[in-house]
Amino acid sequence: MLVPQMVGISIVLPFFAAALCLINVTTLRSMLVLGTSVVVSVASLFLVQSEAFSFTPEYLFGIPADGLIAILDFALLFVILGISYRLKNKLIAALTLLQLVPLALLELFMHPGEGAGPTLYGDQFSMIMCVIISIIGSLICVYGLAYMKEHEHHLKLAQSKQGRFFFYMVLFLGAMNGLVFSNNLLWLYFFWEVTTLCSFMLIKHDETEVAITNATRALWMNMLGGVAFVMAMIMIRAKGMPLSLQEIIVADNASALLLLPIGLLCFAGFTKAAQLPFQSWLCGAMVAPTPVSALLHSSTMVKAGVYLVIRLAPAYAGTVFSNYVALFGAFTFLAAAVLALSQSNGKKILAYSTISNLGMIVACAGINTPAAMAAAILLIVFHAISKALMFLCVGTIEQKIGSRDIEDMRGLIRIMPKTTMVAVIGIVTMFLPPFGALLSKWMAVEASAQLPLVVLMLAVGSALTMVFWGRWLGMLMTSTLHQVNLQAEEQSSLIRVPLLFLAAAAVLMSFVAPGLYTSMVLPVLERLYSTDLYVAALGVISNNVGMFALYPIFVIFTLGVIWAARASSSKRVSTRAYSTPYVCGLQDPSDNQRLGFNGPLGQWAEFTSTNYYMENLIGEGRISTWVNVVALGILVILLAGVL
Amino acid sequence: MDFKTIIYVLLAIILSPILGGLLAGIDRRLTAWCQGRFGPPILQPFYDVIKLLGKERLIVNYWQIFCVHIYLISSVLCVALFAMQADLLMIFFVMTVGAVFMVVGALSVPSPYSQLGAQRELIQMLTYEPLLIIVFVGIYFVTGSFKIDAILAYDRPIFLLLPLLYVVLTFALTIKLRKSPFDISASHHAHQELARGVLTEYSGPYLAILEIAHWYDIVLILAICSLFWSTSLVGMAALLAITYMAEILIDNVTPRMTWRWMLAYVWGVGIGLSFFNVALLYARSF
Repeated sequence: MLVPQMVGISIVLPFFAAALCLINVTTLRSMLVLGTSVVVSVASLFLVQSEAFSFTPEYLFGIPADGLIAILDFALLFVILGISYRLKNKLIAALTLLQLVPLALLELFMHPGEGAGPTLYGDQFSMIMCVIISIIGSLICVYGLAYMKEHEHHLKLAQSKQGRFFFYMVLFLGAMNGLVFSNNLLWLYFFWEVTTLCSFMLIKHDETEVAITNATRALWMNMLGGVAFVMAMIMIRAKGMPLSLQEIIVADNASALLLLPIGLLCFAGFTKAAQLPFQSWLCGAMVAPTPVSALLHSSTMVKAGVYLVIRLAPAYAGTVFSNYVALFGAFTFLAAAVLALSQSNGKKILAYSTISNLGMIVACAGINTPAAMAAAILLIVFHAISKALMFLCVGTIEQKIGSRDIEDMRGLIRIMPKTTMVAVIGIVTMFLPPFGALLSKWMAVEASAQLPLVVLMLAVGSALTMVFWGRWLGMLMTSTLHQVNLQAEEQSSLIRVPLLFLAAAAVLMSFVAPGLYTSMVLPVLERLYSTDLYVAALGVISNNVGMFALYPIFVIFTLGVIWAARASSSKRVSTRAYSTPYVCGLQDPSDNQRLGFNGPLGQWAEFTSTNYYMENLIGEGRISTWVNVVALGILVILLAGVL
Repeated sequence: MDFKTIIYVLLAIILSPILGGLLAGIDRRLTAWCQGRFGPPILQPFYDVIKLLGKERLIVNYWQIFCVHIYLISSVLCVALFAMQADLLMIFFVMTVGAVFMVVGALSVPSPYSQLGAQRELIQMLTYEPLLIIVFVGIYFVTGSFKIDAILAYDRPIFLLLPLLYVVLTFALTIKLRKSPFDISASHHAHQELARGVLTEYSGPYLAILEIAHWYDIVLILAICSLFWSTSLVGMAALLAITYMAEILIDNVTPRMTWRWMLAYVWGVGIGLSFFNVALLYARSF
């Protein structure tokens, strides 16, 4: 299936297309982004059909590949050093030097290429990641074309900055594809750092003060992960092991000796996946234009973090370290869900929900059973689709109503009927059965049942999740029939197509979840485990302790939705049934559609209702410090345990 | 699915609302007796629902109709899945769909009572959902499975091993039955500060649908309770009767409380009891 070529296309093409985006011409840029999106998506779909592969490109454009990556590595670190100089930020400079010097030592004295095996490796897990990155990432870039036009129009810029913007957006896709196919840790490290740089540049894109502050924070937190990564490589070499991911995770080699570097690599993963106490960089990242948030939260960046943690999971299976990883992830899941409950800012809810879901994925990696690993991989897929959809919806809504506060989205169905319906699909696929995200959550809870503390956190967190999604869902609908005024919504097709595509994907992918599991997840698991695997037959996913009747539930709910939609269609309900909300008979005598009470002495009293945010109890300002302390505590124990 | 399972499912779907309605009738009689009243006929809930079904339809928006139908579907589906002896945790998640859509229907109306009721209903769900998950995990701890068929195959009453978790389950039952002290989102007495709360804006046939779905829910929760003494019918009946009598008694001797108290109390006591029970299980294995 021309695997090397397809891998080459999905990694290298975005790099070139990105460079061409720097030529700041609108038409060229649109064509480049659309063209790259299509080609990369098709390449990823070709790749999915192949078997697991590994190969080593000796030369890239006539230059020895390893050398090229080494040079680019140093170039990248010097660029970041330059940035730290410009920001006058000593911390970032120090963190860069802490990578530069050890990396130089590693490259010069520790024979990094020794026995490293194939540079690139791809199994079904990498391929799923590649499809997510290539297709969802591309859709977000396409959406970005229309969004950024509106965005810059709004900011009234003299000179368009879109060239640079799309340079980093497209580069991001290439780097992520490189990351998931790298087997050589030096290569992985290079792509890892490219995503760090891209995210920094994209977060600070608007160059406002808060954007620069938040971008700086994102940079130093991720550089912290980078330092851990370099240290891990040095330790691996010091123990005479090759810098090959596959070698490290092979069971025989994963002795206690290697647990420290593995712990450091996981630490790097935690920073990138914005696990507590590093959540603030991802929350801060939402100052960036919406396509950036969508890209960081759904298909790239944070998924790189959990990808590495899951990849390494077999290497620490059965250790106490693994249990602590589970606890750490579960705590992040719970704490981020609590924080999400206290928010009324739509983007922040999405941000905390992302962190929460990533926490669950990390917890699954820590639980480290076949069921948990299946949950982790499936959750990556379904979360990416639904979260990308939700971010694009909130971005679209924000450009129309000028607010991202969910309280301002009450009755949105009247203003933006189509986008609201898409958002409803986004929300429902995020937390209700029979959709994939819930299926993964079900797997995760059943898998965690052996660890009482973990299962308790997952149980409470999942109830909190239900509350903040459920109320958002309801608020979108708040309206009376007298107010209903479904205008046709004007929208660029560059915005509408990605929205509709993602909404359709969220539903359809959930429907094919059993097939997805059998064809893409099971082969990965079978390489690692021989017992307790889930089996998907006739749309029912089951193992020895549980079973999920996905197709029966899916079919009955589909019929149910059709039935409910018919029963509630305007054709079947006569206008005589239209009523007004109950106000104890105290409505305005002259206009009974007016919302409020006719109070004493004929005084008119409006009412307002808002959600319980419990800010004085669980607000960000109140509990952030405490949850960070606890998370840091677990992290310290976790790393101290492997010293 | 074999023939026997299909019969079970059909019986469960047909009998559940009848059972649920009868239970509601008996409940009203016993409550009346506790309060020194005479009470309505036992079949009164059925008369009510039949009357409601024939009433004029009144809606504030179409979402209300959509949501009650989804609620009914999910409740019926849960009972059917239970009859199929499926996975407990899966049934729980399917039940969430109905609960969420009932709240969505209430939130879709810009009325102070239904909005307030919906917010409180969400807090009630927040309160009982983790406890139900913990109870199911406890059952898994003992029987080694989440699947009802495997749980039924366990040869001892699990109540004997999980007595405290059963108490935790009854917290969830009390909330689901909308009984004091947890009837904070939709009081049975509509003359209070939140009118009928989450149910305020539903009337006529749609209220009837909600009522029927509620009967299914109650039967489901009692069926889950019955798993705790699944080895003998007498034991099962005794357990359920005692449980329900206790519910009525508690309903009559406690006032409605606030959501803050409910959340703190139920989580505190519930999680405490659960951990104690799990600790006892560990102790047994020494």
